[in-house]
Amino acid sequence: MRRIFAPILAVGLLFGAAAQAEDTLSPLHWQSQGSFGSYDKAAVQRGFLVYQTVCASCHSANALHYRDLEALGFTPDQVAGIASSVKLADGSPATLNDVFKAPGVGAAAFGGALPPDLSNIETSRPHGLHYIYGLLTGYAAAPASVTLLPGRFYNTAYPGNQIAMPQPLKGNEVTYADGTAATLPQEAADVSEFLAWSADPNLNARHEVGLRAVLFLLFLSIIAIATKRKIWRETV
Amino acid sequence: MSTDVKKSWLASRLPCPAKESGHCAPTMERGRRYGATLPTLISATVLFLLASGLVQAVYYNPAHGFDSIQFILRDVNSGWLIHAFHVTGATMLFAAVYALLFRDIYRRAYKAPGELVWLLRVKLYALLLLVGWLGYALSDGAVSYWSLTGAANAATGLSGVAGAVGRWFFGGPNGAGTVARLEVFHAVLALTVLVTLGAQRCAARALARQAPAPKNPVSCHPYYTAQTFAALSVFALIFAVLVFFAPHFGLNHLNTAASDTLVVPAVLSPPWYLSPVSAVAGVFATAGGGIFGVVAMLAVLAALPWLDRSGTSNKRGKLYRLLIGLLLLDVIGLGWSVSDPACTAAGSLTLVFTIWYFFHFLVLTPLVTALEAE
Amino acid sequence: MAGTSENAVGHGAESRRGFLKILTVATGAVGAAAIAWPFIDALGPDADGTAAAHLIVNIAGIPENTAITVTWDGLPVYIRKLTAQQTADTQAVVTSTLVDPADFTDRVKPGYESFVVVVGLNTGAPCALEGNAPADPRGPFDGWLSPCDGSVYDPLGRVRGGPATKNLAIPRFKFINDAQIQFG
Repeated sequence: MRRIFAPILAVGLLFGAAAQAEDTLSPLHWQSQGSFGSYDKAAVQRGFLVYQTVCASCHSANALHYRDLEALGFTPDQVAGIASSVKLADGSPATLNDVFKAPGVGAAAFGGALPPDLSNIETSRPHGLHYIYGLLTGYAAAPASVTLLPGRFYNTAYPGNQIAMPQPLKGNEVTYADGTAATLPQEAADVSEFLAWSADPNLNARHEVGLRAVLFLLFLSIIAIATKRKIWRETV
Repeated sequence: MSTDVKKSWLASRLPCPAKESGHCAPTMERGRRYGATLPTLISATVLFLLASGLVQAVYYNPAHGFDSIQFILRDVNSGWLIHAFHVTGATMLFAAVYALLFRDIYRRAYKAPGELVWLLRVKLYALLLLVGWLGYALSDGAVSYWSLTGAANAATGLSGVAGAVGRWFFGGPNGAGTVARLEVFHAVLALTVLVTLGAQRCAARALARQAPAPKNPVSCHPYYTAQTFAALSVFALIFAVLVFFAPHFGLNHLNTAASDTLVVPAVLSPPWYLSPVSAVAGVFATAGGGIFGVVAMLAVLAALPWLDRSGTSNKRGKLYRLLIGLLLLDVIGLGWSVSDPACTAAGSLTLVFTIWYFFHFLVLTPLVTALEAE
Repeated sequence: MAGTSENAVGHGAESRRGFLKILTVATGAVGAAAIAWPFIDALGPDADGTAAAHLIVNIAGIPENTAITVTWDGLPVYIRKLTAQQTADTQAVVTSTLVDPADFTDRVKPGYESFVVVVGLNTGAPCALEGNAPADPRGPFDGWLSPCDGSVYDPLGRVRGGPATKNLAIPRFKFINDAQIQFG
């Protein structure tokens, strides 16, 4: 299996070099979903670009350090460059070991409630991946029966339908380096995958190690039960 | 020759009483079912939890509980795995303890002369509930923060002796130093669990020695070591499936967010293993009533050897088995009824399930066991 | 005939049961080791400890003729930006006349000759050094001065007088880009 996998992968990457994004939108799915899912690193990188450009201006991500981005396939130099492009509060550029820069503004600037920290947002909301995607794409005009409170916007996915966050994504806020079209659904799907990685960066390792561990323990259980039965049968 | 010399050198300097008396009696009866391995599984899981808890304690900072757990999950090598070991280990431990309790209730193993073993197992369950709740409070999540605040504020507000004990335990209403002291209590009580396990093993062995000598005795090794190893392997397999593919099994997702003093999450359900006790506590209107409810719940469980009115008869009639089945459904129902507060029907069923629980132990058990005694 | 074939069968069954037992025990041992490894690994250096061991410092903001102090590996480290005059002067010194001979190229990294990174501890009597700010007393060589035993150093950290006989130590570091250096 492994012998034919590598050439297939190489051929796939050849075609993938001039890639468009793997189509996550029809049907809507993410590579990280399911028991054997893993992160689509290209999608997470694109999602990070959206996060950095749009979300980071108001949201903090206090559990993430810039050095964590090396897991996304960036080289250490690239990550150092990303970090140094961020200006911290005292004017100095951020380093690899700094926490993701928080907006540094109090709740009063946001109308009383700080925008939630995004490091764990997807595990703390039921069906987080779909919820974030639905939230970002769910802005709509309020129907006639709904009276919007002041400072609120209508959103189909938000509990109660009235969200204080103005629509953050409309499409083309960023230009993707790999040529993918930065439509609203694409940006929403990519940033959802990034936030999934942010909440659970160990998913790949967990599934890899987990598969091996479960198969090993299955084998061990079978031979352990067989040994026990043999001993019980043969004890005089 | 040389190994004999070596053995006697060590044996003469450190005689091991356990080996002499045979911790696993060399004359045991055959055909013991897999259920008998549950105490060993419980001991192994407790040791596993101790190890993973100690490693986490190296990095845990009670002043910033949630952030230090995030540090363990993200910045400690294999920290995510150690944390998952600990959280899922607690789930597996409670599954085994519930299984052991139900098995003993079904087999009427609490009857004389097994009352002490039963009492020690109920004590183990009670201790584990407290240790489990303390661990839940240490996770400093959005939901557990409110469980801790509610418990601490209620306990310190009680009157009389109960209030004094509450204030001593929590050191006052939930504040800056509460989690720090609860971390120490969590560790100390976990060690007490180990001691209780040891006492329970001693009592169980003493009980086994009182049984009549078997007709066709068999030695513990390899007969029962093979069975225990097989049971451990299957237990580890289930554990691995949960650790790697369902790390939040039975837990409230909202608790993966940081604690927030300004926001109360919509669903305040505790981990699944705490939910039956949480349900009974919630039925009573006041904090004192809640404590009384939990104590009563454990007390009727402990009183089972004396509530059972079957005398020396060991017959397990159809009615008794039906009763145990209903108890199982009742406990599951208790836990389910507090898992989703949005379901209003479930909330009113909590009272029904609680009443049935006490009805089962205080009324039905004496009646049915007396009825079915030969 | 029958006896030998019975014996043969008996041996086969025994070796099969023995094989199964050995396989089970061996697999169990592998499993136990695999479970033990994360516990050992988790007690190793965590990401913050590794980060502190490989500290990254921003140097773009250091004004000329000044030095900043950072702590790395438990030691104070001075990072100074030299002026063009200081660079020329120190290059002009004949190394054979020095107490502890060291070339200009030994003391700075190629391509980044205006930055000097030294451990800020006097190599004579142990104490911190003065001379980081332009207004500090620096001794006659415009470098650093040790207030406890009077040793003087030049801008490259080479000892030029006083009881000390060794140049200031240079820690392990590298430039990861024009604005940041990484220790370790």
